[in-house]
Amino acid sequence: MSCGDPHETDCHQVLAELWLFLDNECNRERRELLRRHLDECGPCLEEFGLEEHLKALLARKCGGDHAPDALKQRLRESIREIMMRQAVLSAEVTVQRDDNGTVVEVSTSTVESHAWLTTES
Amino acid sequence: MGQTSGWRVLSTINADLGMGVVGVMSADSAEPTQFGESPSSPERTVVPGVPKAAAQELPPSEAADRGVEDPEETPQQRTARFERDAMPMLDQLYAAALRMTRNPADAEDLVQETYLKAYGAFGSFRAGTNLRAWLYRILTNTYINGYRKRQRQPLAQPTEEITDWQLAQAAQHTSSGLRSAEMDALDRLPDSAVKEALSQLAEDFRMAVYLADVEGFAYKEIAEIMGTPIGTVMSRLHRGRKQLRDMLTGEARERGFLRDAEVAS
Repeated sequence: MSCGDPHETDCHQVLAELWLFLDNECNRERRELLRRHLDECGPCLEEFGLEEHLKALLARKCGGDHAPDALKQRLRESIREIMMRQAVLSAEVTVQRDDNGTVVEVSTSTVESHAWLTTES
Repeated sequence: MGQTSGWRVLSTINADLGMGVVGVMSADSAEPTQFGESPSSPERTVVPGVPKAAAQELPPSEAADRGVEDPEETPQQRTARFERDAMPMLDQLYAAALRMTRNPADAEDLVQETYLKAYGAFGSFRAGTNLRAWLYRILTNTYINGYRKRQRQPLAQPTEEITDWQLAQAAQHTSSGLRSAEMDALDRLPDSAVKEALSQLAEDFRMAVYLADVEGFAYKEIAEIMGTPIGTVMSRLHRGRKQLRDMLTGEARERGFLRDAEVAS
């Protein structure tokens, strides 16, 4: 359906590309062409306005949740545990086996204190 | 003796992470990527679990760069970098997880798993690449490979591709001035109604719409995050938005914000 007025670009085509325009996914030339059409075609502009509105509505109402503090805390603790383990593993480690199983001796440790991981929330 | 008991604790952590990895591996991605084989990171071969799993979630472009991690970076430095760059995005990732799983408990688990994988693979993450998209990719894959299967939700099977001709057919406007009434009605909907409508969309549509409209990702980024061609992203966006608009308009009408005569179609 067309608004009946003559346009450089057909209303069909413009409406099919509205979202590309809205999502900033057109090249500059195409963008300019669509913008010109929207400037001179009221119905297409209105349709554009509604889609733009809907996009903004979603962004406003569907985001912005905050992760629970307990989750943040838990993650920081897990990460610290993994880091400590990696630090230990990257330290100089000698492994000796005897009849009783495996004995691990750590001769150099690079593990330091990382209080910032847990104090920051 | 002190060292020995310390080792036991660490082994327990290893085992826990290993369990988690098994849970998220998909049946069709059988071979774990040998993330730990880089000569620059020999210690990874004795830390099974996290790095291997995370490597599976890496975008192909990132995967090709595996092994370039800075051998000079200590675990402490890497952790500090992760804390500085990745942790601030936790809220965003949680919000996305909430939209995916549709319940807070699963969202927490999903985010936690995502972050532990990301941390495990962070040594090979290249500065200058898009960290946010990288995290979302891990989140999405973790969800698809793990939570979706566990949740056993019926999967919508949308026809992926639609042609330009179909797009053009769908595109038409009414020349009436009813759009502003529709806009006003949509604005009056409470947040919960909008979130609920989004959650009603088929999963692939929901994620595409969320990534584009809430997170503002470009099509190319969404394609990488979801592991699909750009054409598929566009098709999902098109359909998802159209369904969403219909649902929201219907909801507004049910709540009496919009009279039948005012509903533009």
